[in-house]
Amino acid sequence: MTAPVSIRSLNHWFGGFHALKNIELDIRSGEYITLLGPSGCGKTTLLSVLGGFITPTQGTVSIGGRDMTRVAPAKRPTTTMFQDYALFPHMNLRDNVSFGLRMAGVDTRTRHARAGAMLELVGLADAALKRPHELSGGQRQRVALARALAVEPDVLLLDEPLGALDLKLRRAMQDELKSIQRQLGTTFVHVTHDQEEAMAIADQIVVMNAGSIEDQGPPARVYRDPATLFSADFMGEMNHIPAAASPDGVVTPFGALPQRVDGPKAVACIRPDAIKLGDGPVQIGGAKIKEAAFFGTYIRAHLVPDVAPDLILVAHLPPGDLPEPGARMTLSAEPQAFHVYAAGD
Amino acid sequence: MTNEGQSLQGCGFVTPALLWTIAFFVVPFLVMGAMSLATLEGRTLIWGVSLSNYAEIAEKAYIWRAFLVSLEITLTVTVVSVLLAYPLAWIIAFRVPAEWQRLALLLAVLPFWTSYVVRSYAWLLVLAREGMINQAMLGIGLISEPITLANTRFATVTGFVHFFVMLLTLTIYANLIQLSPNYRRAAMDLGASAFQTFRYVILPLTLPGVVTGAFLTFVLCIGDYVTPQILGGNSELTVPQVIMVQLGRRADFPLASALAIALMAIVTLAYIFSARWLRLDRL
Amino acid sequence: MRVLPWLYLVIAFGFIYLPVGTLVLFSFQDGTLPVPPFNGPSMRWYAEVAADDDLVSALANSLLIATASSAVAVVLGFCAAYGLARHVLPGSVFLRGLLIAPLTVSYLIIGLGLLIVLTRAGLGLSLLTVAIGHVVINLPLAFAIIYASMGAQQQNAERAARDLGAGEAQVVWLVTVPMVLPAIAAAFFLSVTFSWDEFIIAFLLTRFDVTLPVEIWSLLRSGLSPRLNAVGSLVFLVSVTAVVLLELFVFRKRRV
Repeated sequence: MTAPVSIRSLNHWFGGFHALKNIELDIRSGEYITLLGPSGCGKTTLLSVLGGFITPTQGTVSIGGRDMTRVAPAKRPTTTMFQDYALFPHMNLRDNVSFGLRMAGVDTRTRHARAGAMLELVGLADAALKRPHELSGGQRQRVALARALAVEPDVLLLDEPLGALDLKLRRAMQDELKSIQRQLGTTFVHVTHDQEEAMAIADQIVVMNAGSIEDQGPPARVYRDPATLFSADFMGEMNHIPAAASPDGVVTPFGALPQRVDGPKAVACIRPDAIKLGDGPVQIGGAKIKEAAFFGTYIRAHLVPDVAPDLILVAHLPPGDLPEPGARMTLSAEPQAFHVYAAGD
Repeated sequence: MTNEGQSLQGCGFVTPALLWTIAFFVVPFLVMGAMSLATLEGRTLIWGVSLSNYAEIAEKAYIWRAFLVSLEITLTVTVVSVLLAYPLAWIIAFRVPAEWQRLALLLAVLPFWTSYVVRSYAWLLVLAREGMINQAMLGIGLISEPITLANTRFATVTGFVHFFVMLLTLTIYANLIQLSPNYRRAAMDLGASAFQTFRYVILPLTLPGVVTGAFLTFVLCIGDYVTPQILGGNSELTVPQVIMVQLGRRADFPLASALAIALMAIVTLAYIFSARWLRLDRL
Repeated sequence: MRVLPWLYLVIAFGFIYLPVGTLVLFSFQDGTLPVPPFNGPSMRWYAEVAADDDLVSALANSLLIATASSAVAVVLGFCAAYGLARHVLPGSVFLRGLLIAPLTVSYLIIGLGLLIVLTRAGLGLSLLTVAIGHVVINLPLAFAIIYASMGAQQQNAERAARDLGAGEAQVVWLVTVPMVLPAIAAAFFLSVTFSWDEFIIAFLLTRFDVTLPVEIWSLLRSGLSPRLNAVGSLVFLVSVTAVVLLELFVFRKRRV
């Protein structure tokens, strides 16, 4: 089952603290969206509002076209997967997964069958009679997922579900989550602080900071063309190049750029992988290697450009022989690889 | 991280407490056991191995009746106290706003700090024919003349329940508070009503703590002398009262010891019965 | 329906405070019976209590025994906890069980056992015998509380201290004790509370010098009187003040 979600003019205060500021968000039916941001940005608060655990001070939440702003969690077509899983320790896996069905009054045989099907979906079919404490962290996480999906919610809310797992397991679970979501078609709202995770899974990324939405869009767009400086920095490493506004755009130490900004000062940002060796439209010019490290598919190098010796640029060079500190390179870039924002953004 | 020397040192640290426990707890226990097998001829104590004291317990009506009375009272008190304390602990843990919980809990157990003897005395005052309850009931016309509330089993049970409700509120609250709030959220999220959340999630999870508290109540209640003595009147006696009678008037140490051992046996049975749920570390 | 919990709360608190409230109210009774109607207020009973030498000396005895027995219990309990927490000893589980065992035995039985043994040993009944009994009941508690607080954090700090050259005594005194001080304080406070209020052991193991609860008991024999209310209210007031002060200064500080 699936449904679209619509959030309008959402504001929430905790006492005097303005936790959510004028949130406007539309989530399409069957979409996998991630709420991405640093700790304290409000993403978990927003998720709690969606789940019905917090009633917002102002604004509305509609799910499937119906106003659900003040509806209790039990009555909403959402289920939440909690960060600590919250599996009931005194029940076996089958009873855990079928709990929601039991509360809805489904008879024993049907709900056991359904629980079995859900456990099979997450690959734990033969552990149905085990207790949560007998499982590993990764396995418990899958049970929590099965339990949340067993009641066929329209929207599944995931609160940093992969935080407690090690890297390899995390990657595997990301693929699984994506595949399950595609299979079921349920709308997934996934909270994370890991931008790589967001990019791997999401159809849409919502970047949040200090209670507001900074940027929103498909991963590729948010990565390549971030709307704000915060979003640019959060999505991946960025070089910051000071620039000054001019009648035709901005002026950087490496030349003029066509992008315009409001205000006299600006910051031109470019990703390390967008800096190329050799000559190009925006000529960065000669630069001296300060240090370099081998990263497998590229060499991460810190370079000091001749025309701006107090800048340090980070660039991803093609993997080859590791250059010595002091070695000289010529660097350039395309003008559209730069993202320019007003300074103090 | 331990070697021979350290192990010896460890022994050194533990020894004083161990010696004290052995000298002043284990030894008296053993002596009392031996004493229970001794007999009294007139004023002289004769050591030996005789089961006459235990036989006396089984034969003398006023003694085995006391065991029945103690058990009835203790079980009643345990059940009633748990039933009254659990909701109170629940309300403080889940309904009272977080900043006020500590204060609410403190207020709920403050009367703990009146002297135990004084508290039983206070109940005597409240339940007396001229006391608060009778006067209030007369005043609003519920009764036409005072009813006897003090010096009855009702008074004893009330006095006990008053004490143990405070104790159990404390222990059950500690248990409830330890539960991750996400258990309740998850249950509600999956469609459980407040009652269903309690019945299927909270109750099973807090049961070990409740059983531990109940066991503690049982042990303290069955061995208490003060409350039945002050509030119970003389119509029926509990085992501790019978023990004190043996000590006072008759100086019958052998019988008193046998009674004490019998009481211990009952407590041990209660422990075995509840051991499945018992977690003393969860207290 | 929403009102139900609050109603229960009010009724429960009413039940809990009924005896204490009555006690305190009628301690100010201007009359000879601590029952309604209430005439007063009058301070005469408090004056009588203050003038009663037996009560005052019983109070002093209670304080003496409480502090002395609690101090001994805490020291013994700390040493035992340190020994068992830091070293793997044979039969650790059994030793722990033995040290905690007195918690499950009725005070009456403990008192009876001690009465038999101590009189046979020729030790006359006195405040000393009471103190011995109180150490027996408080030692398990002190041990349990302090043992529970000796975790990995303290162990690592001790290892660091040994690594830097401290001897065993210095480690204990300079590192362990300060770190588990809250638990030690809690154990001491709890022991004092239990000892101060304890009746049956004090009753059995004392002859001439008595503790406060025993003195109150003998007063009880002479019937209901507002004088008992006054004593009870004073005991309550002192205990509550101690708890409030502790809450404000010791436990608050820890939370911050």
